[in-house]
Amino acid sequence: MGAMIGEALKGHLDMLLLAVLEKGPAHGYAVICSLRERSGGTFDLPEGTIYPALHRLENQGLLASNWDEAGPRRRRMYELTARGVEALARSRGEWQRFARAIDSTVAR
Amino acid sequence: MKPAEDRIRNYLRSLEHALWLRGLEDADTLAEVENHLRESVEQELERGLGPEEAEREAIRRFGPARRIAADFEKERIAPMQKVLLILAVLSGLFLAYLDSRPGWDATGILAGGLLLSAGLLTLLGYRRPWLIALAVGVWIPLHDIFLTHDFTMLFVLLFPFAGAYLGWAARLGARKMLHLT
Repeated sequence: MGAMIGEALKGHLDMLLLAVLEKGPAHGYAVICSLRERSGGTFDLPEGTIYPALHRLENQGLLASNWDEAGPRRRRMYELTARGVEALARSRGEWQRFARAIDSTVAR
Repeated sequence: MKPAEDRIRNYLRSLEHALWLRGLEDADTLAEVENHLRESVEQELERGLGPEEAEREAIRRFGPARRIAADFEKERIAPMQKVLLILAVLSGLFLAYLDSRPGWDATGILAGGLLLSAGLLTLLGYRRPWLIALAVGVWIPLHDIFLTHDFTMLFVLLFPFAGAYLGWAARLGARKMLHLT
C-alpha cells in the first residue's frame, strides 16, 4: 500500500507542490511539513526528493524563488508565478474530473 | 562515536560529492539542503529526541545522498538529452546527404564521421548508446533501402554503434576514475 501511494504521489507531485504554495511563499522544509500535515501523514516522501521537483518547477517558470536573509537562517523561499497559478488551476480541474470518474467507477 | 555535528557535515560532503560526480555541484542547493537539515534537527529536538538521534532522524528523513543527487540529475539532464539526440539526427542526416552526392567517394571519412559523431555525443552524456547509434547511422541505409531496396548498407550501422559504445565506456571509465580519486 505504501509503495502504491509513493508511486501515485510521484505522478502528482508537481500539482501537490503548487497547491501547497498556493497559500503563500514558503521554504522547502515548510512545504514538506505542509504536504505531510494536509495529507494526514499519508504523503510522507523522503524530504530531499522535493528539491529537484521545486527546482524543475522554477525552471519551467511555474515557481519563483528568492533568498530570505531576514531570520537567523538564510532560507530559499518559493512562490507561485502567474503561470504557476494557471497550471495549478488546470491540473486541479483535470484531477477533479479524474477523481470523479474513478469514484463513480469503483463505488458500490 | 561521531559527534552529532559531524553527521550533517558528512552528509553534505557526500551529497556534494554525488552532485559533483554528475556535474551538478551548486553552492545554493547545498546551502538549501543544509538549512533544511538544521531545521529538521531543531524540530526533532523539540519533539524530545537527543542531539545525535535528531541528526540521524533528519538525515534519514531527507533520504540517501546518492538518491537525491540522482533525482537532481534526472530533473536537470533531461533537456540536455533531447539536445544531444537532435544533434545526433542532424549529424546523421548531414553524413547521409554527403554520402548521397554523386561525386562523394570518401568512405573512410564517412565511417570516421559516423564513429566520431556517435562517440562524442555519448561521451558528452547521452545515456542510451544504442539510440544515439541509430539516430546517427540509420539514414544512410534507409536512403539505400528506399531508393534501391538494397539492404547491404545496413552494415554501416556498425560504425555508429562502435562509436557510441566506445564513448559510453570512456564516460563510465572517467566517472569511475573521478570517484576513486
